[in-house]
Amino acid sequence: MPKMTFVERDGTRREVDAPLGLSVLEVAHKHGIDLEGACEGSLACSTCHVVIDPEWFDKLNAPSEDEEDMLDLAFGLEETSRLGCQIVIDETLDGLVVKLPAGTRNAQG
Amino acid sequence: MIYLDHHATTPCDPRVVEAMLPWFTERFGNAGSVEHAMGREAAEAVEAARAEVAALIGAAPSEIIFTSGATESNNLAILGAARFAKGLGDERRRVITLATEHHAVLDPVAALESEGFEPVVLPVQADGLLDPAILAEAMRGPTLLVSIMAVNNEIGVVQDLAGLGRMVKAAGAAFHVDAAQASGRIPFNVSEIPADLVSLSAHKMYGPKGIGALYLRRRPRMRIAPLVAGGGQERGLRSGTIPVPLIVAFGEAARLARAEGPVESLRLRAQAVRLLGLLRAEIPTLQLNGHADRRVSGNLNLTFPEGTAAAILAAAPDLCLSSSSACTSGPDGAVGPSHVLTALGLSADAAQRSLRIGLGRFTSASDIETAAASLAAAARRAAAAARAAAA
Repeated sequence: MPKMTFVERDGTRREVDAPLGLSVLEVAHKHGIDLEGACEGSLACSTCHVVIDPEWFDKLNAPSEDEEDMLDLAFGLEETSRLGCQIVIDETLDGLVVKLPAGTRNAQG
Repeated sequence: MIYLDHHATTPCDPRVVEAMLPWFTERFGNAGSVEHAMGREAAEAVEAARAEVAALIGAAPSEIIFTSGATESNNLAILGAARFAKGLGDERRRVITLATEHHAVLDPVAALESEGFEPVVLPVQADGLLDPAILAEAMRGPTLLVSIMAVNNEIGVVQDLAGLGRMVKAAGAAFHVDAAQASGRIPFNVSEIPADLVSLSAHKMYGPKGIGALYLRRRPRMRIAPLVAGGGQERGLRSGTIPVPLIVAFGEAARLARAEGPVESLRLRAQAVRLLGLLRAEIPTLQLNGHADRRVSGNLNLTFPEGTAAAILAAAPDLCLSSSSACTSGPDGAVGPSHVLTALGLSADAAQRSLRIGLGRFTSASDIETAAASLAAAARRAAAAARAAAA
């Protein structure tokens, strides 16, 4: 099974199992990682905002317009920001490293 | 009274006024009030207007942010782009613009210096156009943003935005265009001009004062930091209750400009040629400032051989025109030499003998004849007075 690593806000690295077909948001929830996901992956908030390790960023599929729109509203956006709900684990993402941002803002208000 | 100062502002087209009026009175809902019919009706009107403004420049409606005018759009574009990039950890600091830009661009660019950025102001050629080689040289340092106006507000010169824009994008910088004087007057399409940010103003295109827009490219995504915090209107980039009547008016002005602009432009060009011909018949040494052909229809910027612009204007009280940008006229009525004309190489004395003429939608053929006679007579009186004073 692929594995991935979450770098938590205090810098702690947590390597976890990342089952194929689950989104990064779902992987986080499965392992009790503190990633909110207020809209449960329906692209209506930006609370599952994660910062992709720069070495991994270009290996991901490009974000959709809708994801970019939500990222516009994300708090603490960085060059390699993505929404965790839009990244689905496949074989090529074994070893993926993502960082939790300093804070989130729920674009649902 | 003949109004020949359409670069300062334009009258509202009566059709624009008619479109906006109901939104002040019976249809006064807040476009943010999504829970009732009047609010939703206002929101729909705003979105229809947004689509019209977008269509004028070949953009998608979601790429248009409404602001209070081109000055705010310029500030939001320049300060917002620089601050957002810096916040992301971008280490590029150079921000490039031209000496002939409006103060609404020059001043925010200069203000960025105190935030650790490196403003660079480029000279232009004697005809007002930017030499691409000078831009290329300036962009050899890591450049964050380049801001170039589409149409100059004093000399009407039209920069080669498509070519310059391609250079800017090849250098990896963001490209901002102040198109306040261009929209509705020259063809301007963001599919041909690779701008990331474009500032627009309604009152330069027969809409009301107090409303403008910023185009923000979506693909690739241009991101900026907001200047105003609050209710999160306009996708969080420009908080504040949106002025529905003004936006509806801007939309109608954009619709009219798209429908009638090309024909209007041809007429204005012919009128400007006629006016220049009539004036030169009286004053053969009249000098036209700015490139003779690459200029917006309806603009003439003229240096008179004798007599100051102030004296000429005083001798022609029936004409409304300016010696330079309205925004550089001082509160006491004193007007310094135009920074645009001195950037072209004119002396302060020649700049003080220069007048800006801007013809517009409601300028008639007889206005041209009357204005030419009046201006020529005023110039003769001002010249005679100058000679008498020197004797």
